[in-house]
Amino acid sequence: MKKKIDLKQLIACQLCDALYEKPVLKQGQSAKCVRCGSIMEERKVNSIERSYHWSLAGLFFLVPAILLPIMGVTLAGQYHHASLLDCIVALIDRGFYMIAVLVFLFAIAVPIVRLFGSFYITYSFKYNRLKPSLLSFFRAFHHLDNWAMLNVFMLGIVVSMYKLLDDTELSVNLGLMAFILWLVSSTMASATLDQDYIWQELEDNFAN
Amino acid sequence: MQTNTAKNNHLALCPKCHKLNVLHNASQNEKIKCSRCHGLFYQRKPYSLQFTLAWNIAALIAFIPANLYPIMIIYSLGIGDPSTILSGIGQFVDQGLYPIAAIIFTASIIVPLLKIIGLFVLVYRAHTGIRLRPDKHSKFYHALEFLGPWSMLDVFVVALLVAVVELGFITSVAAGPAINYFTLTVIFTMIAANSFDARLLWDKQQHIENIKEKNDN
Repeated sequence: MKKKIDLKQLIACQLCDALYEKPVLKQGQSAKCVRCGSIMEERKVNSIERSYHWSLAGLFFLVPAILLPIMGVTLAGQYHHASLLDCIVALIDRGFYMIAVLVFLFAIAVPIVRLFGSFYITYSFKYNRLKPSLLSFFRAFHHLDNWAMLNVFMLGIVVSMYKLLDDTELSVNLGLMAFILWLVSSTMASATLDQDYIWQELEDNFAN
Repeated sequence: MQTNTAKNNHLALCPKCHKLNVLHNASQNEKIKCSRCHGLFYQRKPYSLQFTLAWNIAALIAFIPANLYPIMIIYSLGIGDPSTILSGIGQFVDQGLYPIAAIIFTASIIVPLLKIIGLFVLVYRAHTGIRLRPDKHSKFYHALEFLGPWSMLDVFVVALLVAVVELGFITSVAAGPAINYFTLTVIFTMIAANSFDARLLWDKQQHIENIKEKNDN
Protein backbone atom coordinates (compact mmCIF):
# COMPACT_ATOMS: atom_id res chain seq x y z
CA MET A 1 0.00 0.00 0.00
CA LYS A 2 2.98 2.27 0.50
CA LYS A 3 3.54 4.15 -2.71
CA LYS A 4 5.80 7.01 -3.49
CA ILE A 5 3.99 10.26 -2.76
CA ASP A 6 5.07 13.42 -4.47
CA LEU A 7 4.46 16.13 -1.91
CA LYS A 8 4.59 18.90 -4.47
CA GLN A 9 1.52 17.49 -6.21
CA LEU A 10 -0.62 17.45 -3.08
CA ILE A 11 -2.45 19.98 -0.98
CA ALA A 12 -4.31 19.53 2.28
CA CYS A 13 -7.07 21.64 3.78
CA GLN A 14 -5.86 23.46 6.89
CA LEU A 15 -9.19 23.09 8.61
CA CYS A 16 -10.39 19.57 7.94
CA ASP A 17 -7.22 17.82 6.70
CA ALA A 18 -8.77 16.59 3.43
CA LEU A 19 -6.12 15.77 0.83
CA TYR A 20 -6.32 16.88 -2.80
CA GLU A 21 -4.19 17.05 -5.88
CA LYS A 22 -2.63 20.46 -6.06
CA PRO A 23 -4.50 22.65 -8.54
CA VAL A 24 -2.66 25.05 -10.81
CA LEU A 25 -4.03 28.48 -10.05
CA LYS A 26 -3.86 31.63 -12.11
CA GLN A 27 -3.77 35.06 -10.49
CA GLY A 28 -7.09 35.89 -8.87
CA GLN A 29 -8.19 32.25 -8.57
CA SER A 30 -8.63 30.34 -5.34
CA ALA A 31 -9.06 26.68 -4.42
CA LYS A 32 -11.85 25.68 -2.06
CA CYS A 33 -12.06 22.54 0.01
CA VAL A 34 -15.01 20.37 -1.10
CA ARG A 35 -15.58 18.93 2.35
CA CYS A 36 -15.60 21.98 4.61
CA GLY A 37 -15.81 24.86 2.12
CA SER A 38 -12.82 26.85 3.35
CA ILE A 39 -10.31 28.43 1.00
CA MET A 40 -7.17 26.31 0.80
CA GLU A 41 -5.04 28.34 -1.52
CA GLU A 42 -5.40 31.68 -3.17
CA ARG A 43 -3.29 33.35 -5.80
CA LYS A 44 -3.75 37.05 -5.23
CA VAL A 45 -3.47 39.54 -8.09
CA ASN A 46 -0.21 41.46 -8.18
CA SER A 47 0.33 40.67 -4.54
CA ILE A 48 3.92 41.80 -3.93
CA GLU A 49 3.48 45.14 -5.65
CA ARG A 50 0.18 45.99 -3.95
CA SER A 51 1.22 44.83 -0.50
CA TYR A 52 4.50 46.74 -0.77
CA HIS A 53 2.78 50.02 -1.51
CA TRP A 54 0.04 49.58 1.08
CA SER A 55 2.61 48.84 3.79
CA LEU A 56 4.66 51.85 2.66
CA ALA A 57 1.55 53.99 3.11
CA GLY A 58 0.94 52.37 6.47
CA LEU A 59 4.45 53.21 7.66
CA PHE A 60 3.87 56.80 6.59
CA PHE A 61 0.68 57.17 8.67
CA LEU A 62 2.00 55.22 11.64
CA VAL A 63 3.73 58.03 13.56
CA PRO A 64 0.95 60.66 13.23
CA ALA A 65 -1.68 58.04 14.09
CA ILE A 66 0.04 57.26 17.36
CA LEU A 67 1.24 60.71 18.39
CA LEU A 68 -1.41 63.16 17.14
CA PRO A 69 -4.44 63.68 19.41
CA ILE A 70 -7.41 61.57 18.30
CA MET A 71 -10.12 63.59 20.02
CA GLY A 72 -10.69 66.17 22.70
CA VAL A 73 -13.40 67.32 25.07
CA THR A 74 -14.42 70.79 26.21
CA LEU A 75 -16.39 71.29 29.40
CA ALA A 76 -16.84 74.47 31.46
CA GLY A 77 -14.19 76.26 29.45
CA GLN A 78 -11.56 73.59 29.91
CA TYR A 79 -10.15 71.58 27.04
CA HIS A 80 -8.28 68.31 27.04
CA HIS A 81 -7.31 65.97 24.25
CA ALA A 82 -5.54 62.62 24.03
CA SER A 83 -3.63 60.58 21.50
CA LEU A 84 -3.27 56.83 21.23
CA LEU A 85 -0.05 56.99 23.24
CA ASP A 86 -1.77 59.11 25.92
CA CYS A 87 -4.19 56.23 26.53
CA ILE A 88 -1.28 54.00 27.50
CA VAL A 89 0.31 56.72 29.65
CA ALA A 90 -2.99 57.44 31.44
CA LEU A 91 -3.47 53.75 32.21
CA ILE A 92 0.06 53.50 33.61
CA ASP A 93 -0.55 56.61 35.75
CA ARG A 94 -3.62 55.02 37.30
CA GLY A 95 -1.78 51.78 38.03
CA PHE A 96 -3.50 49.55 35.47
CA TYR A 97 -0.25 48.07 34.24
CA MET A 98 -1.69 44.89 32.77
CA ILE A 99 -4.29 46.74 30.71
CA ALA A 100 -1.67 49.29 29.63
CA VAL A 101 0.64 46.54 28.41
CA LEU A 102 -2.12 44.70 26.57
CA VAL A 103 -3.58 47.80 24.91
CA PHE A 104 -0.05 48.75 23.90
CA LEU A 105 0.51 45.30 22.42
CA PHE A 106 -2.80 44.94 20.58
CA ALA A 107 -3.24 48.49 19.33
CA ILE A 108 0.36 49.67 18.80
CA ALA A 109 3.11 47.07 18.98
CA VAL A 110 1.61 44.15 17.06
CA PRO A 111 0.23 46.30 14.21
CA ILE A 112 3.61 48.05 13.87
CA VAL A 113 5.57 44.80 13.83
CA ARG A 114 3.15 43.31 11.30
CA LEU A 115 3.44 46.37 9.10
CA PHE A 116 7.24 46.36 9.20
CA GLY A 117 7.15 42.62 8.60
CA SER A 118 5.02 42.79 5.48
CA PHE A 119 7.08 45.75 4.27
CA TYR A 120 10.36 43.89 4.76
CA ILE A 121 9.10 40.74 3.04
CA THR A 122 7.58 42.49 0.04
CA TYR A 123 10.67 44.73 -0.21
CA SER A 124 12.92 41.67 -0.35
CA PHE A 125 10.74 40.14 -3.06
CA LYS A 126 10.38 43.30 -5.08
CA TYR A 127 14.11 43.99 -5.23
CA ASN A 128 15.15 40.34 -5.31
CA ARG A 129 17.02 40.29 -2.02
CA LEU A 130 15.92 36.92 -0.79
CA LYS A 131 17.76 35.49 2.18
CA PRO A 132 17.33 32.14 3.98
CA SER A 133 16.56 34.07 7.16
CA LEU A 134 13.27 35.16 5.57
CA LEU A 135 11.94 31.66 6.22
CA SER A 136 12.08 32.02 9.99
CA PHE A 137 11.09 35.67 9.71
CA PHE A 138 7.91 34.87 7.82
CA ARG A 139 7.11 32.04 10.22
CA ALA A 140 7.42 34.42 13.17
CA PHE A 141 5.22 36.88 11.28
CA HIS A 142 2.40 34.31 11.30
CA HIS A 143 2.45 34.09 15.10
CA LEU A 144 0.93 37.57 15.26
CA ASP A 145 -1.94 36.84 12.89
CA ASN A 146 -4.68 36.93 15.50
CA TRP A 147 -3.43 39.66 17.77
CA ALA A 148 -3.66 42.90 15.81
CA MET A 149 -6.78 44.76 16.92
CA LEU A 150 -6.70 48.10 15.14
CA ASN A 151 -10.21 47.55 13.75
CA VAL A 152 -11.57 46.88 17.23
CA PHE A 153 -9.87 50.02 18.52
CA MET A 154 -11.54 51.99 15.72
CA LEU A 155 -14.96 50.77 16.87
CA GLY A 156 -13.88 51.71 20.40
CA ILE A 157 -13.23 55.27 19.22
CA VAL A 158 -16.73 55.46 17.70
CA VAL A 159 -18.41 54.11 20.83
CA SER A 160 -16.53 56.46 23.17
CA MET A 161 -17.48 59.39 20.93
CA TYR A 162 -21.13 58.54 21.47
CA LYS A 163 -20.47 58.22 25.17
CA LEU A 164 -18.92 61.71 25.29
CA LEU A 165 -21.34 63.38 22.90
CA ASP A 166 -24.06 63.43 25.50
CA ASP A 167 -22.68 65.82 28.11
CA THR A 168 -19.50 67.34 26.72
CA GLU A 169 -18.44 69.28 23.68
CA LEU A 170 -16.52 66.84 21.55
CA SER A 171 -13.90 67.81 19.01
CA VAL A 172 -12.22 65.52 16.54
CA ASN A 173 -8.53 66.00 15.83
CA LEU A 174 -6.16 65.13 13.02
CA GLY A 175 -5.02 62.00 14.82
CA LEU A 176 -8.33 60.31 14.02
CA MET A 177 -7.81 60.88 10.31
CA ALA A 178 -4.28 59.48 10.50
CA PHE A 179 -5.53 56.53 12.54
CA ILE A 180 -8.22 55.66 9.99
CA LEU A 181 -5.70 55.85 7.14
CA TRP A 182 -3.26 53.73 9.13
CA LEU A 183 -6.00 51.16 9.79
CA VAL A 184 -7.00 51.04 6.11
CA SER A 185 -3.46 50.71 4.79
CA SER A 186 -2.33 48.09 7.29
CA THR A 187 -5.50 46.05 6.70
CA MET A 188 -4.97 46.23 2.95
CA ALA A 189 -1.27 45.41 3.33
CA SER A 190 -2.04 42.13 5.07
CA ALA A 191 -5.08 41.36 2.90
CA THR A 192 -3.10 41.65 -0.34
CA LEU A 193 -0.16 39.62 0.93
CA ASP A 194 -0.12 36.26 -0.89
CA GLN A 195 1.28 33.87 1.71
CA ASP A 196 1.18 30.74 -0.44
CA TYR A 197 3.16 32.43 -3.18
CA ILE A 198 5.77 33.72 -0.73
CA TRP A 199 6.22 30.31 0.88
CA GLN A 200 6.48 28.64 -2.49
CA GLU A 201 9.12 31.08 -3.71
CA LEU A 202 11.12 30.84 -0.50
CA GLU A 203 11.05 27.06 -0.72
CA ASP A 204 12.17 27.04 -4.36
CA ASN A 205 15.06 29.33 -3.51
CA PHE A 206 16.26 27.70 -0.34
CA ALA A 207 15.27 24.09 -0.74
CA ASN A 208 17.40 21.74 1.27
CA MET B 1 -17.29 6.62 2.71
CA GLN B 2 -13.67 7.30 3.50
CA THR B 3 -12.37 10.76 2.64
CA ASN B 4 -8.75 10.98 1.72
CA THR B 5 -7.05 12.97 4.45
CA ALA B 6 -3.46 13.90 5.08
CA LYS B 7 -3.54 11.91 8.30
CA ASN B 8 -4.59 8.69 6.53
CA ASN B 9 -1.66 9.08 4.17
CA HIS B 10 0.86 9.61 6.97
CA LEU B 11 1.24 13.25 6.10
CA ALA B 12 1.10 16.26 8.37
CA LEU B 13 0.34 19.85 7.47
CA CYS B 14 2.52 22.61 8.94
CA PRO B 15 0.13 25.09 10.59
CA LYS B 16 2.38 28.06 9.80
CA CYS B 17 3.50 27.61 6.20
CA HIS B 18 0.93 24.99 5.07
CA LYS B 19 3.56 22.62 3.79
CA LEU B 20 2.84 18.91 3.76
CA ASN B 21 5.41 16.83 5.60
CA VAL B 22 5.87 13.08 5.55
CA LEU B 23 5.41 11.43 8.90
CA HIS B 24 8.22 8.90 9.29
CA ASN B 25 7.43 7.51 12.70
CA ALA B 26 4.22 5.71 13.42
CA SER B 27 3.58 7.61 16.64
CA GLN B 28 1.26 10.56 16.30
CA ASN B 29 2.16 12.71 19.24
CA GLU B 30 5.67 13.40 18.14
CA LYS B 31 7.01 16.81 17.23
CA ILE B 32 7.66 17.23 13.53
CA LYS B 33 10.13 19.69 12.05
CA CYS B 34 8.73 21.33 8.96
CA SER B 35 10.93 20.80 5.92
CA ARG B 36 10.09 24.28 4.59
CA CYS B 37 9.97 26.72 7.50
CA HIS B 38 11.84 24.57 10.09
CA GLY B 39 9.12 25.22 12.64
CA LEU B 40 8.14 22.49 15.07
CA PHE B 41 4.58 21.25 15.04
CA TYR B 42 2.31 18.26 15.65
CA GLN B 43 0.02 16.45 13.26
CA ARG B 44 -2.86 17.34 15.59
CA LYS B 45 -2.55 19.79 18.43
CA PRO B 46 -1.69 17.60 21.43
CA TYR B 47 -4.27 17.49 24.25
CA SER B 48 -6.29 19.99 22.24
CA LEU B 49 -9.61 19.28 23.94
CA GLN B 50 -8.10 19.28 27.42
CA PHE B 51 -6.35 22.62 26.89
CA THR B 52 -9.47 24.16 25.39
CA LEU B 53 -11.52 22.98 28.33
CA ALA B 54 -9.01 24.32 30.87
CA TRP B 55 -8.72 27.80 29.29
CA ASN B 56 -12.47 27.86 28.91
CA ILE B 57 -13.07 27.23 32.61
CA ALA B 58 -10.54 29.95 33.46
CA ALA B 59 -12.40 32.36 31.16
CA LEU B 60 -15.72 31.50 32.77
CA ILE B 61 -14.33 32.13 36.26
CA ALA B 62 -12.83 35.48 35.23
CA PHE B 63 -16.11 36.49 33.61
CA ILE B 64 -17.96 36.56 36.96
CA PRO B 65 -15.97 39.36 38.69
CA ALA B 66 -15.80 41.12 35.32
CA ASN B 67 -19.54 41.67 35.52
CA LEU B 68 -19.86 42.29 39.26
CA TYR B 69 -17.21 44.97 39.77
CA PRO B 70 -17.50 48.42 38.18
CA ILE B 71 -15.63 48.73 34.90
CA MET B 72 -15.28 52.49 35.14
CA ILE B 73 -15.99 55.31 37.57
CA ILE B 74 -17.03 58.72 36.27
CA TYR B 75 -16.12 61.54 38.67
CA SER B 76 -17.94 64.83 38.25
CA LEU B 77 -17.37 67.64 40.77
CA GLY B 78 -15.67 65.17 43.06
CA ILE B 79 -18.53 62.69 43.21
CA GLY B 80 -17.86 59.23 41.80
CA ASP B 81 -20.43 57.31 39.75
CA PRO B 82 -19.37 53.70 39.21
CA SER B 83 -20.86 51.68 36.38
CA THR B 84 -20.57 48.00 35.52
CA ILE B 85 -20.61 46.60 31.98
CA LEU B 86 -24.36 46.03 32.14
CA SER B 87 -25.23 49.39 33.69
CA GLY B 88 -23.10 51.11 31.03
CA ILE B 89 -25.25 49.44 28.39
CA GLY B 90 -28.34 50.51 30.33
CA GLN B 91 -27.21 54.15 30.12
CA PHE B 92 -27.07 53.95 26.33
CA VAL B 93 -30.57 52.41 26.26
CA ASP B 94 -31.83 55.24 28.49
CA GLN B 95 -30.37 57.79 26.11
CA GLY B 96 -32.09 56.06 23.20
CA LEU B 97 -28.83 55.10 21.49
CA TYR B 98 -30.00 51.57 20.70
CA PRO B 99 -27.47 50.68 17.94
CA ILE B 100 -24.52 51.56 20.22
CA ALA B 101 -26.12 49.69 23.11
CA ALA B 102 -26.56 46.66 20.84
CA ILE B 103 -22.92 46.80 19.67
CA ILE B 104 -21.54 46.93 23.22
CA PHE B 105 -23.97 44.27 24.44
CA THR B 106 -22.89 41.98 21.59
CA ALA B 107 -19.18 42.61 22.04
CA SER B 108 -18.94 42.40 25.81
CA ILE B 109 -21.72 40.02 26.89
CA ILE B 110 -22.96 37.88 23.99
CA VAL B 111 -19.61 37.15 22.28
CA PRO B 112 -17.68 36.03 25.41
CA LEU B 113 -20.62 33.93 26.62
CA LEU B 114 -21.22 32.46 23.17
CA LYS B 115 -17.55 31.63 22.88
CA ILE B 116 -17.36 29.95 26.28
CA ILE B 117 -20.59 27.96 25.83
CA GLY B 118 -19.86 27.21 22.18
CA LEU B 119 -16.39 25.85 22.92
CA PHE B 120 -17.77 23.70 25.73
CA VAL B 121 -20.30 22.23 23.28
CA LEU B 122 -17.65 21.72 20.58
CA VAL B 123 -15.29 19.96 22.99
CA TYR B 124 -18.15 17.75 24.20
CA ARG B 125 -19.24 16.86 20.67
CA ALA B 126 -15.70 16.22 19.46
CA HIS B 127 -15.04 13.98 22.43
CA THR B 128 -18.24 11.93 22.46
CA GLY B 129 -19.31 12.21 18.82
CA ILE B 130 -22.95 12.71 19.82
CA ARG B 131 -24.91 14.63 17.16
CA LEU B 132 -21.69 15.60 15.45
CA ARG B 133 -22.04 17.69 12.28
CA PRO B 134 -18.46 18.62 11.35
CA ASP B 135 -19.43 20.85 8.42
CA LYS B 136 -21.67 23.05 10.57
CA HIS B 137 -19.49 22.85 13.65
CA SER B 138 -16.30 23.88 11.92
CA LYS B 139 -18.09 26.90 10.42
CA PHE B 140 -19.37 27.78 13.89
CA TYR B 141 -15.85 27.44 15.26
CA HIS B 142 -14.55 29.85 12.65
CA ALA B 143 -17.21 32.39 13.49
CA LEU B 144 -16.15 32.13 17.14
CA GLU B 145 -12.49 32.58 16.25
CA PHE B 146 -13.29 35.65 14.15
CA LEU B 147 -15.47 37.29 16.82
CA GLY B 148 -12.94 36.82 19.63
CA PRO B 149 -10.90 40.04 19.35
CA TRP B 150 -14.03 42.20 19.12
CA SER B 151 -14.71 41.59 22.80
CA MET B 152 -11.78 43.89 23.56
CA LEU B 153 -14.05 46.78 22.53
CA ASP B 154 -15.06 47.71 26.07
CA VAL B 155 -11.45 47.72 27.26
CA PHE B 156 -10.43 50.10 24.47
CA VAL B 157 -13.41 52.36 25.20
CA VAL B 158 -12.43 52.64 28.86
CA ALA B 159 -8.76 53.23 27.94
CA LEU B 160 -9.80 56.06 25.60
CA LEU B 161 -12.20 57.65 28.07
CA VAL B 162 -9.62 57.56 30.88
CA ALA B 163 -7.16 59.41 28.64
CA VAL B 164 -9.54 61.90 27.03
CA VAL B 165 -11.81 62.90 29.93
CA GLU B 166 -9.26 64.42 32.26
CA LEU B 167 -10.55 67.83 33.30
CA GLY B 168 -9.35 67.79 36.89
CA PHE B 169 -12.07 68.46 39.44
CA ILE B 170 -14.85 69.11 36.92
CA THR B 171 -14.93 65.66 35.45
CA SER B 172 -12.62 62.69 35.04
CA VAL B 173 -12.91 58.99 34.36
CA ALA B 174 -11.14 56.21 36.24
CA ALA B 175 -10.98 52.55 35.30
CA GLY B 176 -12.53 50.04 37.68
CA PRO B 177 -11.19 46.64 38.80
CA ALA B 178 -13.55 44.79 36.42
CA ILE B 179 -11.44 45.83 33.43
CA ASN B 180 -8.62 43.51 34.54
CA TYR B 181 -10.94 40.53 34.85
CA PHE B 182 -12.72 41.32 31.61
CA THR B 183 -9.44 41.51 29.68
CA LEU B 184 -8.42 38.19 31.18
CA THR B 185 -11.72 36.68 30.02
CA VAL B 186 -11.11 37.86 26.47
CA ILE B 187 -7.50 36.64 26.40
CA PHE B 188 -8.45 33.27 27.91
CA THR B 189 -11.24 32.68 25.39
CA MET B 190 -8.89 33.61 22.54
CA ILE B 191 -6.28 31.12 23.76
CA ALA B 192 -9.02 28.52 24.25
CA ALA B 193 -10.21 28.97 20.67
CA ASN B 194 -6.60 28.81 19.47
CA SER B 195 -5.94 25.52 21.22
CA PHE B 196 -9.01 23.85 19.73
CA ASP B 197 -8.19 21.77 16.66
CA ALA B 198 -11.18 21.77 14.29
CA ARG B 199 -9.78 18.76 12.45
CA LEU B 200 -10.63 16.61 15.47
CA LEU B 201 -14.32 17.04 14.58
CA TRP B 202 -13.71 15.45 11.17
CA ASP B 203 -11.46 12.75 12.63
CA LYS B 204 -14.18 11.76 15.08
CA GLN B 205 -16.79 11.53 12.36
CA GLN B 206 -14.55 9.29 10.26
CA HIS B 207 -13.89 7.17 13.30
CA ILE B 208 -17.64 6.75 13.87
CA GLU B 209 -18.23 5.91 10.20
CA ASN B 210 -15.48 3.32 10.28
CA ILE B 211 -17.06 1.59 13.25
CA LYS B 212 -20.45 1.61 11.51
CA GLU B 213 -18.98 0.06 8.38
CA LYS B 214 -17.32 -2.67 10.42
CA ASN B 215 -20.59 -3.47 12.17
CA ASP B 216 -22.47 -3.61 8.89
CA ASN B 217 -20.08 -6.13 7.43
